[in-house]
Amino acid sequence: MLKPLSPAPADCTEMQIGSAQFPTPFASGLEYNPPARGPWNIVHTGMLLPQAHQIFVCAQGCLRGVILTAAEMNAMDRMSWVSLCEEDIIGGNMEQLMIDGVANILQKLHPLPPAVLLFISCIQQFVGCDFPLVLRTLRSRFPDVDFADCYMNPTMRKSGLTPDQLMRRQLYSLLRPAARDLKNVNLIGNDRPTDASSELLQILRQSGFRVRDITQCKTYDEYQQMAESAWNITYLPTAAAAGDALQQRLGQKHLYLPLCYRREDLLQNYKVLADTLGLSLPDFSNIMQKTEDALDKVRREIGNMPVTIDYTAVPRPLSLVRMLLEHGFCVSAVYADSFSDEEGTDFHWLQQHAPTLRICATIHPSLRFYQPRTNAEILAIGQKAAYFSGTAHFVNIVSGGGMYGFDGIARLAEQMLDAYHHKKDTRTVIQKKGLGCACCL
Amino acid sequence: MIKLAVYGKGGIGKSTTVSNLSAAMAEKGLCVMQIGCDPKADSTASLHGGTKIPTVLSLIRKYGNDFPLHAMVCEGYDGVICVEAGGPLPGQGCAGRGIIAALEKLNQKGAYETYKPDVVLYDVLGDVVCGGFTMPMRSGYADKVLILTSGENMSLHAAANIGMAVEHFHGRNYAELGGLILNRRNVRDEDQKVRELAEDLHTGLLGSLDWSETVQAAEPLNKTVLEAFPNSEMAQQYRVLTETILHTCGGTLC
Repeated sequence: MLKPLSPAPADCTEMQIGSAQFPTPFASGLEYNPPARGPWNIVHTGMLLPQAHQIFVCAQGCLRGVILTAAEMNAMDRMSWVSLCEEDIIGGNMEQLMIDGVANILQKLHPLPPAVLLFISCIQQFVGCDFPLVLRTLRSRFPDVDFADCYMNPTMRKSGLTPDQLMRRQLYSLLRPAARDLKNVNLIGNDRPTDASSELLQILRQSGFRVRDITQCKTYDEYQQMAESAWNITYLPTAAAAGDALQQRLGQKHLYLPLCYRREDLLQNYKVLADTLGLSLPDFSNIMQKTEDALDKVRREIGNMPVTIDYTAVPRPLSLVRMLLEHGFCVSAVYADSFSDEEGTDFHWLQQHAPTLRICATIHPSLRFYQPRTNAEILAIGQKAAYFSGTAHFVNIVSGGGMYGFDGIARLAEQMLDAYHHKKDTRTVIQKKGLGCACCL
Repeated sequence: MIKLAVYGKGGIGKSTTVSNLSAAMAEKGLCVMQIGCDPKADSTASLHGGTKIPTVLSLIRKYGNDFPLHAMVCEGYDGVICVEAGGPLPGQGCAGRGIIAALEKLNQKGAYETYKPDVVLYDVLGDVVCGGFTMPMRSGYADKVLILTSGENMSLHAAANIGMAVEHFHGRNYAELGGLILNRRNVRDEDQKVRELAEDLHTGLLGSLDWSETVQAAEPLNKTVLEAFPNSEMAQQYRVLTETILHTCGGTLC
């Protein structure tokens, strides 16, 4: 029987999973952000909306990060901002200021963008700004522009949806009701296309479904065609709120098939897919054998080289750890500050079967003074794992890297092997913002 | 459903008046929800024997979003549904932000759809000083703003400010000014002053309440006048005022 564990001391940055508390092993407090910039932020995600323009209304200090993101990805022509100062706060007419500011920006844009992602920040929420009123007025003045309400409110990130979840939800909030096509399915909430070789896509396409994905939309009209789909499939936990919102607003059914790594869990996902969409499933034995062969090959080549994994690489790192341990890999550490509820089963399994597995914090303030080793003979999966492990052997992915299912595991194995054989310039690679986006650096 | 927000200078008797109106409406068989929008969290005290009820903000602080709707409400006298928004300690935090968070939480939890009140009364603290205090006026919350005032200059000044705020928001689809209520303090020319203010604000005087020992006597009993002294003259005044408000603002309820 599991016994309740005490919270970790405030200065603890590492512990064995056997003595870790689920889902938050470490004390919460001031946070540090390590120099691994690959995970996407709200600007990167917003840029997925084709032809859209982003407008931020916030204080200059808050603008710095988002503008640098847009600049780094060569997308300054798709971003504008209204900079707020103290007089604007005490002046008491935030709504009119926003309306005038956004209108001024739009009057200078030729042609008008079909959509605007309008971001407010914490300050509007503190002063009680009537954001719906701002949106109503702008929609009335610019009837040819669709306005989405978006939020950059990190102070609210531990109450309700996180900024990342909200952004992924709002990205689809402009889809307009459309006639439903039962043979259309959307994959939503992802940063990058899912590999076409994934059996998830293979099954859908071979069953006659057209699969749409915002990452492959070139125009706003193509994006709007996603409203025709009868189903939305999500596999990232941060995307689930988007699926739920569309189900409620447009009636598109939401199917959450979490990105995971164990055979039983994957087969369960496909059973749910088949039952829900009325599909017959293929025989998975070939692809499962391909996966086993790929993992065997990696294990034989890397031998006992320690493997580390971080939470930015895959949304369920413990599922991946468990699968790798079950295949004989030497997984030494997981870099994660907390775990999602979905990880509970794997967490408790690991407590029993791998109690010495290290759980390492990534945002603890003392890590500001962390001196990474260099040239460690460790194979890392994810940028933060690479940074903290001090290795040049790492798989450079975020949010699952578009690899899903048995095929995804086989591809991940290939990337592990490549990372083993080929070193990367870790410092240079991980400092680039938004893995997969254009970069001017 | 009609939704009324009652504003007025601090200490003018809003909570006492609103609680008695709630009781009078409940007496007529209406389902009433009274929402106290004040960090002191004592708006509804006389409807539930002066007991402390958990405020919306205290629940948010303690449980985040992980608490049920019914934890936020307390059934008071004659079935009045009592809610207290709560807020930070005096001198700390942001009371306006607290009101916003509390009212949004009630909305999120489906309070209006679940309890289906005939009447919602927002008892809003003090003057209109920041965005949070206008929250009950906004689209989706109150339909009408009622201003409680005496003939004292400071009270009239506050009432005028509130009236101007409502006027300022004209065109935003916010609540309209539903009228003034005179809560007498027996100052000179009191009725005339309040009538003049009503004219200046282009609204009406919905009714008047006398200064009365009966109201003072009900307070230590932690009861409304309607509960403690149902046959009193003051109880009758509250009933008359209720009829006028429902007739003026109540649409199909009157």
